[in-house]
Amino acid sequence: MYKVVRRRSLKPTVTQIEVEAPLVARKARAGQFIILRVDEDGERIPLTVAGTNPDDGTVKVIFQVVGATTEKLNHVKEGECIQDFVGPLGRPTETEGIKKVCIVGGGVGCAIAMPVAQEFHRLGAEVTSIIGFRSEDLVILEDEFDACSDRLIVMTDDGSYKREGNVTVPLKEMLASGEKFDMIITIGPLIMMKFVTLTAKEFNAPITVSMSPIMVDGTGMCGCCRLTLHTDEGSVMKFACVDGPDFNGYEVDFDEAIARGRTYFDFERKAHDHVCNMYKAADELAGGANA
Amino acid sequence: MAINPKKHEMPAQDPKVRAHNFDEVALGYEEATALAEAERCLNCKNRPCVEGCPVNVQIPEFIQKVKEGDFEGAYQIISETSSLPAVCGRVCPQETQCEEKCTLGIKFDPVGIGRLERFVADWHNEHSKEAPVAPELNGHKVAIVGAGPAGLTCAGDLAKKGYKVSIFEALHTPGGVLVYGIPEFRLPKAIVAREVEGLKELGVEVVTNAVIGKTLTIDELFDEMGFEAVFVGSGAGLPSFMNIPGESLRGVYSANEYLTRSNLMKAYRDNPDTPIMKGGKVAVVGGGNVAMDAARTALRLGAEKVYIIYRRSMEELPARAEEVEHAEEEGIDFRLLNNPVEILGYENPDDPRDPKNGTVRAIRCIKMELGEPDDSGRRRPVPIKGSEFELEVDAVIMSIGTSPNPLIKDTTEGLEVNRRGGIVVDEGGLTSRKAVYAGGDAVTGAATVISAMGAGKVAAASIDEALSGK
Ligand SMILES: Cc1cc2nc3c(=O)[nH]c(=O)nc-3n(C[C@H](O)[C@H](O)[C@H](O)COP(=O)(O)OP(=O)(O)OC[C@H]3O[C@@H](n4cnc5c(N)ncnc54)[C@H](O)[C@@H]3O)c2cc1C
Ligand SMILES: Cc1cc2nc3c(=O)[nH]c(=O)nc-3n(C[C@H](O)[C@H](O)[C@H](O)COP(=O)(O)OP(=O)(O)OC[C@H]3O[C@@H](n4cnc5c(N)ncnc54)[C@H](O)[C@@H]3O)c2cc1C
Ligand code: SF4
Ligand code: SF4
Ligand code: FES
Repeated sequence: MYKVVRRRSLKPTVTQIEVEAPLVARKARAGQFIILRVDEDGERIPLTVAGTNPDDGTVKVIFQVVGATTEKLNHVKEGECIQDFVGPLGRPTETEGIKKVCIVGGGVGCAIAMPVAQEFHRLGAEVTSIIGFRSEDLVILEDEFDACSDRLIVMTDDGSYKREGNVTVPLKEMLASGEKFDMIITIGPLIMMKFVTLTAKEFNAPITVSMSPIMVDGTGMCGCCRLTLHTDEGSVMKFACVDGPDFNGYEVDFDEAIARGRTYFDFERKAHDHVCNMYKAADELAGGANA
Repeated sequence: MAINPKKHEMPAQDPKVRAHNFDEVALGYEEATALAEAERCLNCKNRPCVEGCPVNVQIPEFIQKVKEGDFEGAYQIISETSSLPAVCGRVCPQETQCEEKCTLGIKFDPVGIGRLERFVADWHNEHSKEAPVAPELNGHKVAIVGAGPAGLTCAGDLAKKGYKVSIFEALHTPGGVLVYGIPEFRLPKAIVAREVEGLKELGVEVVTNAVIGKTLTIDELFDEMGFEAVFVGSGAGLPSFMNIPGESLRGVYSANEYLTRSNLMKAYRDNPDTPIMKGGKVAVVGGGNVAMDAARTALRLGAEKVYIIYRRSMEELPARAEEVEHAEEEGIDFRLLNNPVEILGYENPDDPRDPKNGTVRAIRCIKMELGEPDDSGRRRPVPIKGSEFELEVDAVIMSIGTSPNPLIKDTTEGLEVNRRGGIVVDEGGLTSRKAVYAGGDAVTGAATVISAMGAGKVAAASIDEALSGK
């Protein structure tokens, strides 16, 4: 069992927790992830390591409540335990030789992007961060990005906060003005990453995408996380959990990844409703007892 | 008394009923049947059956005890050489091992050695209340990587000799393929859990959620944690795909994913947290035990039709005979001498947002005929030109094999592997790295429970030999 030692709400549906897992804390590097199960029989879900504290052996993760498991995780209180926590998994983000980097994060993908930006900052690289959200109420981690970026641009789709438009707009401006990055790294919804990649391609700019397909074991055993890369030598299948999660954006077959990501759409919706109703019923019971 | 030419049938659930539940299919011998089956054994002087068993279970001796009604005595004889009799009695491919060599088999059915072994082990599990006692520690520490049959066996043998043993397992439950691969209806999870409990009582520490190569490396096990020897029993968990178009469509699974979702993640118990495709028509590609398990799982999860697509003929099917028989009885449709060439997806060009886009619609196969024998001695399947046809299906499960996972090799300097990714070992299980031993599927590639168990035993003996002198 793994204790949740600290818990902080970043937004109504975005939470940061720190979990006691000394072996993971010792090892985890930016770009790697863990897999957790909230309870016995729970689903295994991957979450990116958003920071570690090797001194007290804790690992920080930031998650957005999107479905049944993240809903359950959001109900775990400080001091309570979760069933399983395994990692660090995947390969760390490649930082070698990158002196100037542009991090493009979208939505909760910013939680995955943040530790990567911090790592480049720590290594002394020049960091430009572009983070985008649907609207003001969904903006997260602005202060954290501010602290580790030489330049930060915040976008909202509806213009309710800072600049209006999506993340490709400022990226395109920079590239068009002749700015060169050793690497653009993008993390967020697949459709966003697809368009960020297309933007980079217009300017022949190198781009890494961080893929987050559905996973089960996270060790290369099930093949559920497979994706197709179209390389110069032909198409190859890769497992995101062990070969990734970072890949060359030019090579990733986004359309296939988008379709695969929808595999359990109906199931997930039902499971989420089921869990929500459970908590609602529990709240009502508790409310009834209080009255 | 004349010998009964027939092996005694093992009672089984009615195929019509069991096709819809996950309870164990075969029900095991009653005492009287076991006694009668034991009577068929001729107690041959030259003991050919023993030769056929990869770990040389003393077959005539244990059967003799069964004849005498001394079932506990029989169990003791089996457990001298086998650590998991309740498992092996159920899943060994007896027809190509012990029973293939049985003298009786020349004229009649061979003795039901596996069934007797299962009976004896179940009898012991039911009647023996003796808890194992942890022996006095000898001061040596050994780490085991992977809690499959190889690792569990190695751990047990060493613990009995007084070693302080820790097992590091990547998944959240120990057991290896026995828990994530082989389904409940063939090997109840409780049997495996009992074996693991027994090890814990012997003082073995089981650390789950520990991926060696990631959470800890082999070098750290030695240098930082003070282990004096490491046994790698990490299995052959990396699934192969065919490299045909359409393999990444929604609804295409590796057997590992499908079975893991059903077994380890308990979709078979209708776990509301585990998504899996249920219902519809399912094609399983392959002909081994894994394919049979995937097909019969799909059926139980509610598929209306399940096909096995295999490129050779019935004779070459590598699965255990009993599983093929059971699958046929349950109504699995065997499409033999067929090979998939493409998986076709649903596409609606008028509406790119159609939620069905990108899901499996059909599998295209080509018919095969058998040609000359190949390296394996089996007749090579050759495609028949122009014989392609489409089979409408909603899901495809690829069960065409697995290979050792490269995670440990990639993070352990100096660990030699062969062309297929199998760790290279000597006859004692020692790898190219000092004090690192390996065995089971991680060495041989996908094989059998009994051979993995045997390799765990061999390595335990070598480790004991190397460390006990120190
Ligand atoms: C390597 C990796 C790192 C990740 N890091 C983070 C992180 O740091 N913070 C975070 O909030 N999320 C992260 N995710 C996504 C996270 O795993 C999913 O949000 C989670 O599995 C959803 O589980 P659920 O049961 O709550 O929702 P589900 O019911 O499973 O899904 C609800 C919705 O989320 C979508 N979804 C499901 N799985 C994923 C997935 N793997 N990626 C994207 N969308 C998904 C579904 O399509 C559905 O629309 C990461 C995913 C991967 C693969
Ligand atoms: C569906 C299916 C049906 C089968 N049916 C039969 C049958 O009927 N009869 C038969 O004899 N054989 C059968 N087999 C084959 C048999 O199960 C295997 O040969 C046997 O389990 C191999 O044992 P093992 O201990 O070498 O590996 P495994 O059982 O694969 O166990 C390896 C363990 O190591 C863990 N691991 C892997 N990497 C790491 C790591 N880096 N760090 C920590 N832990 C790690 C894995 O999670 C796993 O728990 C079947 C296999 C499958 C998949
Ligand atoms: S362990 Fe397997 S091969 Fe050996 S005697 Fe028992 S059933 Fe036969
Ligand atoms: S070969 Fe058959 S009959 Fe002879 S001892 Fe072995 S099991 Fe008995
Ligand atoms: S999650 Fe199973 S292979 Fe990647």
